[in-house]
Amino acid sequence: MTATAITRAAAITRAALAGTVTLEVARYLPGEDERPYFQSYDVPYHADWVVLDALNYLKDEVDSTLSYRWSCRMGVCGSCGAMVNDVPVLTCAAFLRDYLPGPIRIEPLANFPVERDLVIVLDDFMEKLSTIKPWIIRETEQPLDQGEYLQTPAQLDDFKQFSMCINCMLCYAACPVYQNDEEFLGPAVLALAQRYNHDSRDEGNTERNDVAWLDDGVWDCTFVGECSAVCPKGVDPAGAIQQAKLESTLGWYRSFLTPFGRR
Amino acid sequence: MATRTRTPTPYPRHRSRKWFLTRWPYQLFMLRELSSVFLAAYMVLLLVLVTQVHNGQHAVRNFENTLKSPGLLIFTSVALIFALLHTITWFQAVPKALPLRRGENKVPPGLLIGAHYVAMLALSAIILIIVLV
Repeated sequence: MTATAITRAAAITRAALAGTVTLEVARYLPGEDERPYFQSYDVPYHADWVVLDALNYLKDEVDSTLSYRWSCRMGVCGSCGAMVNDVPVLTCAAFLRDYLPGPIRIEPLANFPVERDLVIVLDDFMEKLSTIKPWIIRETEQPLDQGEYLQTPAQLDDFKQFSMCINCMLCYAACPVYQNDEEFLGPAVLALAQRYNHDSRDEGNTERNDVAWLDDGVWDCTFVGECSAVCPKGVDPAGAIQQAKLESTLGWYRSFLTPFGRR
Repeated sequence: MATRTRTPTPYPRHRSRKWFLTRWPYQLFMLRELSSVFLAAYMVLLLVLVTQVHNGQHAVRNFENTLKSPGLLIFTSVALIFALLHTITWFQAVPKALPLRRGENKVPPGLLIGAHYVAMLALSAIILIIVLV
C-alpha cells in the first residue's frame, strides 16, 4: 500500500467516523451581492454520495435558496457541471470520497457569467453552437425508396467519438484560450463541427468551415489540451481541432491548385 | 411595503493573467511554450558556430572555449532539458493530430509515436555522420 493510498484511506475513515464533510459553495444573488462569496456547509458523508447528492441534500434540508442545474444524475444530460476544487466536473460523477478530507470547494463553471449561485449564463455557447450548423446538411436528399444512408464501420468510427459530446461545457471551463478570448468558438463547438464534417452522409463542410477555419475558430487554439482531459464522455476536442487545422491548411493549398474547385 | 429594486445582472466572466499558475497541466503547457524561446536561442548559437566555421579553425577553437564557459554550459543544459520536454510532449500529441488509418483499422498511437522517435534518431544519426566525416 502506497503512502498516498494510506493517507486517502485514513481521510475516508476520519470522514466516516465524523459523519460529515464540509462544502464551500459559491453563492451569488444578482442585485443583492456585489460579487460571489463562499458559504460553508457541513453535509452528511456517505461513501456512495456524489457532489450532486450533497447539493441536493443542502437544497432539500438546509438552504432552499441554493441554485444549481441538474437533471439526469447519470452523466448524460450535461446540466450539472461545476468547478470542484478548481477542476470542471459533472457533479453527478464526482464522488465526495475522492475529495476527502475536504473542505470541498464548489463554484460555477469558470469562464462563463454567473446567473445565480452555481448557475451560469450559457447564451454565448448556444449562439456559437448554432453557427457551425450541428446537423446533417444535404445538397439533395436521397429518395425514400432508395432506403437509408449506409455507412461502413470505418466511416462511423471516423466521427463517432465526437458525437458523444453532451454539451456540458466543461471543456470551455478548462480552456484558457476561451477565458482570455471570448470570440473563440471553443472546444465543444469545433469538435461538433468535426463530427458532422466527417460524417459520410453530410455535405455541409464548406458552410461549417467558413466559420470553423477562421482565426476565432480552430486557429485560436494553442493546444493546451485540458478540454480533452476534463471531458466526461471521452471526446477529444483538442484532437478534433488539431485535425481541423491540418485539414484547413490542406484546404488552403488546394484552393491555390484548384481555384474553381470545391475546397 | 417598499419594494426592493434589483438589477438581475449576471456576474461577469472572470479573466486572469495568472491562469497558468492555477493548475499543473497549465504550468506544463506554459513550460512547453517557453521551450521555444530556449530552442530559438540555441538556434542562434548554432548560427554563430556556422559563422565561426566560415572564419576558420582558430575562430572555431575560440568559440569552443566560449561554449565551455559556466554560463553557456548552464544555458545549453537547460536548452537540452527544454528540447526533450518539447519533443516528448509534441510526439505524444501526434496521434491526436494525425489519426492515420490502415484499411479499416486505426494505426495504434504507440506505433505513430514510435515512428517519430525512429525518424528523429535516424535524422540525428545522419547529421552526426555529416559532422564527423
